[in-house]
Amino acid sequence: MRTPRAAYPLTWRVMDGLERVAAALWPARFQRGLPYLMLLPAVVLVGLLVLGLVQIGDTSLRTLDTSTFLMSEDYTLANYRRVLTENFFATVAGRSLMGAVIVTAVTLLFAFPYAYVMVRTSSPALRKVLLVALFLPFFIGQVVRAYGWLIILGNQGMVNEALGLVGVSPMRLLYNYPAVLFGLVQYMLPFAVLMLAPALTAIPAELEAAAASLGAGWVKTFRHVVLPLSRPGLIGAGLVVVTLSLTDFAIPAILGGGTQDFIANAIYDQFFRTSDQGLGATLSLMLVAVGSILVGVVFLLFGAGTLAMAEARK
Amino acid sequence: MTDSLGKTVVLWLFVAAALITLSAPTIVVLGASFTAGNIITFPPDGLSLKWYGAIAQASDLRQAFVRSLIVATICTVIAIPVGTLAGIALAKYRVRFARSIQVYLLLPFTIPLIGSGIGMMLVFGEMGALGRLWPVGIACCVINLPFMIWAVTASASNLSPDLELAAANCGAPPLQRFLYITLPAVLPGVITGSLLMFILALNEFLVSLLLVDARSVTLPVQIYNSIRSIITPDLAAISVVFIACAGLAIALLDWLVGLDIFLKSK
Repeated sequence: MRTPRAAYPLTWRVMDGLERVAAALWPARFQRGLPYLMLLPAVVLVGLLVLGLVQIGDTSLRTLDTSTFLMSEDYTLANYRRVLTENFFATVAGRSLMGAVIVTAVTLLFAFPYAYVMVRTSSPALRKVLLVALFLPFFIGQVVRAYGWLIILGNQGMVNEALGLVGVSPMRLLYNYPAVLFGLVQYMLPFAVLMLAPALTAIPAELEAAAASLGAGWVKTFRHVVLPLSRPGLIGAGLVVVTLSLTDFAIPAILGGGTQDFIANAIYDQFFRTSDQGLGATLSLMLVAVGSILVGVVFLLFGAGTLAMAEARK
Repeated sequence: MTDSLGKTVVLWLFVAAALITLSAPTIVVLGASFTAGNIITFPPDGLSLKWYGAIAQASDLRQAFVRSLIVATICTVIAIPVGTLAGIALAKYRVRFARSIQVYLLLPFTIPLIGSGIGMMLVFGEMGALGRLWPVGIACCVINLPFMIWAVTASASNLSPDLELAAANCGAPPLQRFLYITLPAVLPGVITGSLLMFILALNEFLVSLLLVDARSVTLPVQIYNSIRSIITPDLAAISVVFIACAGLAIALLDWLVGLDIFLKSK
């Protein structure tokens, strides 16, 4: 009796014990519920966001009493009225929206050739270089990248010093709208390329060869074969870039120097400078609404097929 | 197939511009960290490692970095089981309302970061948990969770139901099947996902900024706060820590699963 028990390894006994615990906790007849149990933690975790939205909604309906600096007890729509009527918010919203559109156009213009070369190149070394160049800034974070741009574009920065060497007086390259847009394009490029690449991989190279053998030049092939076929990727990438640049905080804050605020900066200021939580919450909720409507419209127009792309957003 | 010269030139003009734009800040920060001068100038005033010595002495920077590491660890430790289970469930089983659940689990991406951040700030504020590190870790986990789930689902093509049936046929009970068959099949996805979660939490700026107070600033927030006053080379030196972490993560990713997986179409 003793010998066979010793031959039964400890790990097996542990596994058997665990197996019994698992069977007791979740009997086989609950089998159908298993996937839901597995999804539960993720659903609960994301529930934090929903809870947050509810809190934002609640806060947005309260106004700040400037004499006591307390939030009002009763609900009112006053914050929404203020956001919709005050010029300041229209200016910020306009600046962010226009910025997002320009950034998206420029980013896609550069991301598309980048993704194309990365996918089509026959050299594994070149592909790796392009991939690393993409991931490095993506993994470094916005603050460090923006800091790099401060060094390059600042008044005593590299560009101005270099211009000084050839006798050009220093220019103000930072703290203006183009600087913010430029920084955003750099921030968005990895996202756009990584969303375009799978779509381009899905296009067989033979199609381009076929178009070429039928006499189409490369420009024609691009316009009539590659571009139409990569539409899902372009839409997905465009959607991600629009929403991310519309709602970005760090780049406008650092490269805009407080003069080029986007919506996120206005929200931050309401919470941490003027302490008007109600107004800040209202702005946040409206931004979330605009973002959701944008995503919804794109899905309606182009089908939820872009959703699969959104999943592959990395 | 040889491409026409025109095509090559045009493509490479764009690629070169993108490459320079992508790499310039990283290279400049690296270069600036080795300057011998007290301010950042171009060309640099000679080379030295003195700013690395300076950051090794600066306890506030060191503490901020440790806090960032703690946040990233909390985030990853939560994300691995949560994201792996959810990813396997979505890939392996037919789930009712799968579409709706997917859309719901994508909320962290569709809700703007500032909205998520403010919302969680209010929730954690209500709980009186602001100023601690674990809410920051959880928040970073929530906002990046889709990355983890996506990475696991993407690797689920290795998941063959036949293998599990075979194991069951050989008498393997459910838990064993999960540990020895299902989990190893999605392991590349779990590795990719957890690396992404760790590095993104390490760098997370906006959500950190909203959730921390003066006692619990993480490194990106610390750098942001210092940037506003004056640009000194010690910031460049501490930024190199991020560059090194990013480089390490990329090397690991490439070694363990290969960067090419990001090019695959589904």
